[in-house]
Amino acid sequence: MRGRRDRVLVAAALTAAAGLAVGVAGSVGFALATGYDRAAQRSDQPDLLARFAPGRLSALDARLRRLPNVERIVYRLEVNRIALAANGRSRRNGAVHVVRPGRRGYAIVAGRDLGERPGEALVERGVAREWGLEPGDRIDARGLGRLRVAGIALSVDNVAFPLATVPRIYVAQAEIDRRFGADPDPGANLALVWLADPDRLDITLAAARPAAFGLRTEQLLTRRGVQQVIDQAAGIVIALLAVFALVASACAGAMLAAAAGADVRRRAPVLGLQRALGATRRQVIAEQLLDVAVVAAPAAALGLGVGAFAAAAPTSALLGYLNEVGPGLALLGPLAAAFAGLVAVVVAGAAWPAWQLTRRPVTSLLRGGDLPPAPARRRTGGRASSTGLLMLGARFALARRGRWLASVGVLAVATAAVLLILAVADLLVSLRDDPGTLGRRYALTVPGTARDAAAVARVPGVAAAAQRSTIEAADSFSLTQPLRVVAYPADHVAFEAAPLATGRRLRTAREVEVGLGLADALGLRPGSLLAIQSATGRELRFRVAGVVRALENDGRIVYARTAPLLRDDPSLGGPIAVRLERGADRGEVTRRLARAGFVGTPTGAATLSSRSFLAVLATVLRTVALAIGLVCLAAVLQTLGLTTRDRRRSLAVLRASGARPRHLGALLAGAAGAILLPALVAAVMLQRFVLGPIVAGLTADYATLPLGVRALDGLVAGGGLAFVGMVAVVLATRSSIHQPIAAELQRDA
Amino acid sequence: MTSLLRLRGLTKTVGSGRAARRVLDDVDFELGAGELCAVVGPSGSGKSTLLHLAGGLDESDAGDVSVAGQRLGGRSDPALARLRAQHVGFVFQAFHLVAELSGEENVRLAARFGVPGAARRVAALIDAMDLRGVAGTRPAQLSGGEQQRFAVARALVNDPELVLADEPTGNLDAAAGAVVLDLLRAATDAGRGVLVVTHDPAVTARADRVLTLRDGRLS
Repeated sequence: MRGRRDRVLVAAALTAAAGLAVGVAGSVGFALATGYDRAAQRSDQPDLLARFAPGRLSALDARLRRLPNVERIVYRLEVNRIALAANGRSRRNGAVHVVRPGRRGYAIVAGRDLGERPGEALVERGVAREWGLEPGDRIDARGLGRLRVAGIALSVDNVAFPLATVPRIYVAQAEIDRRFGADPDPGANLALVWLADPDRLDITLAAARPAAFGLRTEQLLTRRGVQQVIDQAAGIVIALLAVFALVASACAGAMLAAAAGADVRRRAPVLGLQRALGATRRQVIAEQLLDVAVVAAPAAALGLGVGAFAAAAPTSALLGYLNEVGPGLALLGPLAAAFAGLVAVVVAGAAWPAWQLTRRPVTSLLRGGDLPPAPARRRTGGRASSTGLLMLGARFALARRGRWLASVGVLAVATAAVLLILAVADLLVSLRDDPGTLGRRYALTVPGTARDAAAVARVPGVAAAAQRSTIEAADSFSLTQPLRVVAYPADHVAFEAAPLATGRRLRTAREVEVGLGLADALGLRPGSLLAIQSATGRELRFRVAGVVRALENDGRIVYARTAPLLRDDPSLGGPIAVRLERGADRGEVTRRLARAGFVGTPTGAATLSSRSFLAVLATVLRTVALAIGLVCLAAVLQTLGLTTRDRRRSLAVLRASGARPRHLGALLAGAAGAILLPALVAAVMLQRFVLGPIVAGLTADYATLPLGVRALDGLVAGGGLAFVGMVAVVLATRSSIHQPIAAELQRDA
Repeated sequence: MTSLLRLRGLTKTVGSGRAARRVLDDVDFELGAGELCAVVGPSGSGKSTLLHLAGGLDESDAGDVSVAGQRLGGRSDPALARLRAQHVGFVFQAFHLVAELSGEENVRLAARFGVPGAARRVAALIDAMDLRGVAGTRPAQLSGGEQQRFAVARALVNDPELVLADEPTGNLDAAAGAVVLDLLRAATDAGRGVLVVTHDPAVTARADRVLTLRDGRLS
């Protein structure tokens, strides 16, 4: 009875572990895959969002209401560079959206919408989360004074603060009228457009350019464009999570099927007895499957539930950064499907061997499924060879070649996935801390004008300084393709040099280097023409000199000289990039700059605002890795359990001959080693030659990712496997020594 | 006579509920050095249970067992295993050799658990049992008699005082069984005590003492 209970517990634990892995990866993947659509629907996101230079509302409306396929247009005034402060946190670059009556384009997630009450504002959800604001709290806005937070709004036109660097609040037009007097034709620079038929967006876009002639269009963003921006923020890591979900599911499925099949084979005499007593094949098989399902169903439900619960918090944080909405009860559908899938895998794993076994003669079943000795490939004559317990255990594990291969395969794939996770985690850390990851050679930035660069360059420890200007623009022929232009007065390579993929470095002000992501999106190559619509609404044309592998902005980046941008917009500015001399200490140089009147900010590859986002991504990855680690533990436990089950009589004889628990442990350690060592080697090869290149291919548009297997990562993975093996050996040994020797001697194998 | 095995008030019930059956009921027994004792009885009478209890492979409901003057009761599993390794050798009806190991490797494996120096006895035992020619052969390629002789060698490799044999000739023909019986007889000649559970008249004929186990009583 105890043996049967132990087997049931192991099977249930295995199913629960598989459910955990699938629950974590699946719930994360589903939430991220559907988060944007849910958020867009909930927040009534407009189909088109256009930013213009400030003007009169009537003038805007006169142009835009003639656009075809428009159901509704709502105008706002967006005022930038407003200092915002609350709860001891502040930013000088805040934005205030003045909201007029009509459709909002945002959803209220806490509190209530703006009403008639004076002195109120809505706070964007990211700001509320970062600054700890709730309805009823106060927020200070320069020019508006202290405002009461009426509610918290979710708007999906960008990622959330601080990932988006501008914190945003909303105030009602009535509030502005109260403070500054009502204006019959107020200012507006933002148009939210809802289309009658969103599928015919192209018609509206095609009419938008000529309609906007004479207006300075700063940005034209479609729903699809917004989704691209948001998807890019999570970058390749989200795609990797889907890969890991598949890996975890495949590993779990393989192990479950193998375990279920082994259990059925072990019960061959029981099946034979049932057949001898008159049960039909179908009845026998149905009973087996029901037995299996009764154990698998609650275990799968438990594992899935725990997995979804474990992933809930980091997923919610991740979605918060992306301004997306969690699935809520909608997750039940995929979880139910996963539950059905898991149980189906277990049942299918039992069905096939049950079907095979019941085809055998009844007498054959009644004799039981003794483990036949492995065929003697050669006669070993003469001297006896060394028979250490470790080697004996390894032989036990190898006796079942199919099971050994399946176990090694599952562990190898799972470990390779973990190696990949570690490599990506290393990359995330690099992105967070090491500007060199993005090809950046400057270590600091200081605010200042172009004239200040010379003074900065004279500070000891500074090798070079130049103003780094950036503008967010769009491709002139495809307004839905946002891009970022980074410009330096002279050669940018001294400050940032993403590796060249094709072509050469730019040499003149009429040339640019473009990132791979942008080149692929627009079909650019060296010699191509790139036309950019700038913030002023003018079109700037350049010749593509080279294509670079850049991670920044997911490769949608253009390197140019400052001169043409300045001609277009003389007010163009930007921080001064500071490159340090070799060996110079960043902290010391920062202090020298401060004495010279320049406040330096360290450069990570990620901006300060995205570091916490990277931390959340790393947490999600680690959660998935932990789930995969549990799958590994379950796989080794299963294999050792099956091995001790096959060899129960041999183990009983050893114990009768005086073998102590440590002897059994050594034997089982040998069995575990026979699986783990080849699995580790296979995992390293798999990650180095298969998974790593595949993932690197996913990011080839952006950069060449260093996804080889580092020695440290290999040691960590090996150490993890060793730990898993040790835990499994201890548990299997304890289980084994609790079996009564006399009873084990009398059992069939 | 030196008592190598002593059973006092040994009681054991197998099964549970309505199927519970007392197979040993207050059994007293002693086995001396140099003695070969055979236990016979109907199938299911508890003969194998008696052997298992004597060797510490199972726990009794009441009574105590002493092997080579050492009580088995109250010992931890590792302590029992150590005692078995040093003082008890087992021979089973089904031989129970490890299939992946050669005959000699099976004997050498048991020597790992016993006293230091046991490994040096392996070769001598192999030769004494005339198994040198098949020492490197795996059990699947051995005859029943050869397998059982390796099993006897395994039981003796740690030089135990007590040998417990459960139907040692049950799966052998008469000739092979006679060889095994000769080996067990030789073991008693060396001063060991041998307790054999058997249905084989050839064994009872050569035993110093034959006891019958019936209705839980040994007589």
